[in-house]
Amino acid sequence: MFGNYGQRYIVLTEKDINERQEEDIGKVSAVLSIRREEACVLLHHYKWNISKLSDEWFADEEKVRDIVGLLLNGIDLPNSRKLTCGICFEGYSSDVMSSAGCDHFYCHECWEGYISAAISDGPGCLSLRCPDPSCGAMVLQNMINKLAKDDDKVRYARFILRAYVEDSKKTKWCPAPDCTCAVEFVSDGNYDVSCNCKFSFCWNCTEEAHRPVNCETVSRWILKNSAESENMNWILANSKPCPKCKRPIEKNQGCMHMTCTPPCKFEFCWLCLGSWAEHGERTGGFYACNRYESAKKEGVYDETEARRERAKNSLERYMHYYERWASNQTSRQKAQADLQKAEKEQLAKLTDVFGIPETQLKFIIEAWSQIIECRRVLKWTYAYGYYLDDKVKSEFFEYLQGEAESGLERLHQCAEKDLQSFLTVRSDNTEPAPSIAEFGDFRVKLAGLTSVTRNYFENLVQALEAGLEDVHSTAQGTTSSNATNIPSKKAVTKGKTKKQLPRTSSDNSDEGWPCERCTFINPSSVDACSVCDKHRY
Amino acid sequence: MTSSSSPSRKALSKIACNRLQKELAEWQVSPPSGFKYRVSDNLQRWVIEVTGAAGTLYAGETYQLQVDFPEHYPMEAPQVIFLNPAPMHPHIYSNGHICLDILYDSWSPAMTVSSVCISILSMLSSSPAKQRPQDNDRYVRNCRNGRSPKETRWWFHDDKV
Ligand SMILES: [Zn+2]
Ligand SMILES: [Zn+2]
Ligand SMILES: [Zn+2]
Ligand SMILES: [Zn+2]
Ligand SMILES: [Zn+2]
Ligand SMILES: [Zn+2]
Ligand SMILES: [Zn+2]
Repeated sequence: MFGNYGQRYIVLTEKDINERQEEDIGKVSAVLSIRREEACVLLHHYKWNISKLSDEWFADEEKVRDIVGLLLNGIDLPNSRKLTCGICFEGYSSDVMSSAGCDHFYCHECWEGYISAAISDGPGCLSLRCPDPSCGAMVLQNMINKLAKDDDKVRYARFILRAYVEDSKKTKWCPAPDCTCAVEFVSDGNYDVSCNCKFSFCWNCTEEAHRPVNCETVSRWILKNSAESENMNWILANSKPCPKCKRPIEKNQGCMHMTCTPPCKFEFCWLCLGSWAEHGERTGGFYACNRYESAKKEGVYDETEARRERAKNSLERYMHYYERWASNQTSRQKAQADLQKAEKEQLAKLTDVFGIPETQLKFIIEAWSQIIECRRVLKWTYAYGYYLDDKVKSEFFEYLQGEAESGLERLHQCAEKDLQSFLTVRSDNTEPAPSIAEFGDFRVKLAGLTSVTRNYFENLVQALEAGLEDVHSTAQGTTSSNATNIPSKKAVTKGKTKKQLPRTSSDNSDEGWPCERCTFINPSSVDACSVCDKHRY
Repeated sequence: MTSSSSPSRKALSKIACNRLQKELAEWQVSPPSGFKYRVSDNLQRWVIEVTGAAGTLYAGETYQLQVDFPEHYPMEAPQVIFLNPAPMHPHIYSNGHICLDILYDSWSPAMTVSSVCISILSMLSSSPAKQRPQDNDRYVRNCRNGRSPKETRWWFHDDKV
C-alpha cells in the first residue's frame, strides 16, 4: 500500500521452497557428480551456499568428504553372512542389515529406533552419523527413507525444508501463526514486507510492520510495555464511565467518537473523555487528541485535580502515549474484522439492494485496507513521539500527527457509520430507503477520503523516517520546495493564527479546489466540499 | 550409603531387556579391568565397583558407580553416577554427577556399560589434581530436588582432563 515495493522481497510458499531446494540439489549433484542425497547433506553443511561448497570441494574433495562423513566407496554388503547387530547384539543374516556405507552393520529395527530417537531430538538429525562412536559416516536421506517410520520420514523432510529457510541469511519465516510461507528479502531499503497471508511484518526484526519507527525503537517500546504492563491493564479495558452521567460505556467501534446511550447522549472523546464538540474547536480541525500537553489541560471530569498532581510523573506521560498506541491497535483489529465482514457479507448485500456489481464496490475494500494500514502507522507514531526529545521537532511532529489522526478519524467514521445507513434494511418501510444517488455521493466521499488519507500518511511516513529533518532546514528558510504535502515548520508556526492545512496535490486551481477543512480536492464546479460540506469561500 | 535420585522409571522394554542380558553375559565372561559388578537381580540398576588404576592419583581407592537404565535403552543413554563418596575430580560433583559427554549428548546405542566404564576410568586416570569442579556448590544446590544429571544442560569441561 505504501509506495512501489518493486521486487524488494519475494514471498515463498512451501512449494516454492521445495522447488528451489530441488533445483540447488540437482545443480550440485550434476556439477560434483555425486548422488542426490549426498548433494543434500553437503548443501546443508554449507548452509546452501553453493559457491562456497563447490570452491572447497574442488580445492580438496577428500577433506570435505571427511568433514561431512561422505565415504568414497560404500562397503559391499557381505553376501548372506550371519552378522551381529552392533546395537541389539542379536545375530542376523546380512541381507536384513544395513550400514551408512561403512562396515558397521545394524539390524533394521535398531536403525529405525536410532533414527527415530535422533529425529525426536530435533533438526540435529540432519547430520546424523553412524552409531559407532569411532565412525563419522553420514546417514543420508535415502537411508532415512529406507529405514525410518513413515512419520519420521515426513519430519525429516520438514527439517530439511526448515533448514533451507533458517540457514539462509536472506530468508525468514513469516511470523504469523499457522502461516507456512517464508519471505526472501532481495534489496535493501525499508524492511516492511507483506506475506501472502496478509500479515505485514518487519523482515529485519520480525515484529509486526512498524514504519515509520525503526527496529530499535520498537524493541525499546515493547520492553517498556512489558515492564509497565500491570499499570497499563486498566487502560486496555473496553469500558469507561461516561464523563457526564457516569454510566459505563462500552467501546464497540473503531473510531474514537463516543456517544452515550439515551437519554444522556453525551458525545465525548474516548481517549481524553473531553467533550467532542470542544475537540473540534480546540484543534481547528475535525478531530485530534494526540497532544500530550493539551490533553492534560482539557480534563473536565472529577479527577482533574488528581490528574494534574500526577502530571509531573513520568508514568503519566508514558500512559498518554501508551493508551493511544494501544487504542489504535484495537481500532486496527476492529477494522480488520470490518474488512472481513465487508468482503463476506456487505458487498453482496449492497449488490442486492442497489444492483451495483461487486467489482464496482471495491472502493469499500480499499477504504478498509487503508484504514488498517493507517491505524498501524498512527499507532507507531505514538512510540515515535514518546522517544522524540527535540522540542522543535516535537511541536512539528504533534502537528503532523494531529492532522493525520483527524484525517484518519474522518475516514474511519465514514467507512464505519455512513456505510451502515445503506446496509440497514428497513422492513417496516418507516423511512425511505436510501437512493442510488445517495449511494453515489457516499462513494465519492469515501473514495475521496481514502485517497486524501493515503497521500497524507505516505508523506507522514517519509517525513518521520527522514527524522523530520525538514524542520530545521526549512526553519532557516533555505528551501521552499517541499516534496511532501506536509507543510514546512514555517507554515506551522504561521498556522498558529490562521490554520494552514496540508495540500493533497498540486496547487493548480484549474484542477479543482482543496477544501480548507478536510483537504479534499473538489471539482471547480461545486462550491461546497463534497466530503465535509464546508463552503469554499 | 545414600543413593541419590531413584527415578520412578518405566520398566525396561523387551529390546532393552534382551540387550542388557547379553551385555551382562558378556561382562561376566570378560569384565573390563578395574571393575566389579555387584551381583543383584535388578537388571535395571547395576552397581559397579571401580578401583583406581595403579600409578594414578586414585591408585588402590575404590568407588561405586550406579547405572540406571531407561525404558528405551540403548536408544537412550543410561544414567551413571558415583555413589557417595564420589572421587575428588574436576569433572565429578560431590553429589556423584559426572560431566562426561558420552553420558548425555554424545551417547550412541553402539556404546555399552563396559565402554562407558572404560571411559570413566580413563577420565579418572588422567586427572591432574584431586579437586571438585569450580561450580560444584552451585550445581549441587540446584540439584537438590533429586534432579537427574540427564536433565542438566551440560556444558562440557575441556576434554584434556
Ligand atoms: Zn539390532
Ligand atoms: Zn560406521
Ligand atoms: Zn504469512
Ligand atoms: Zn523491525
Ligand atoms: Zn452519558
Ligand atoms: Zn480527546
Ligand atoms: Zn471538506
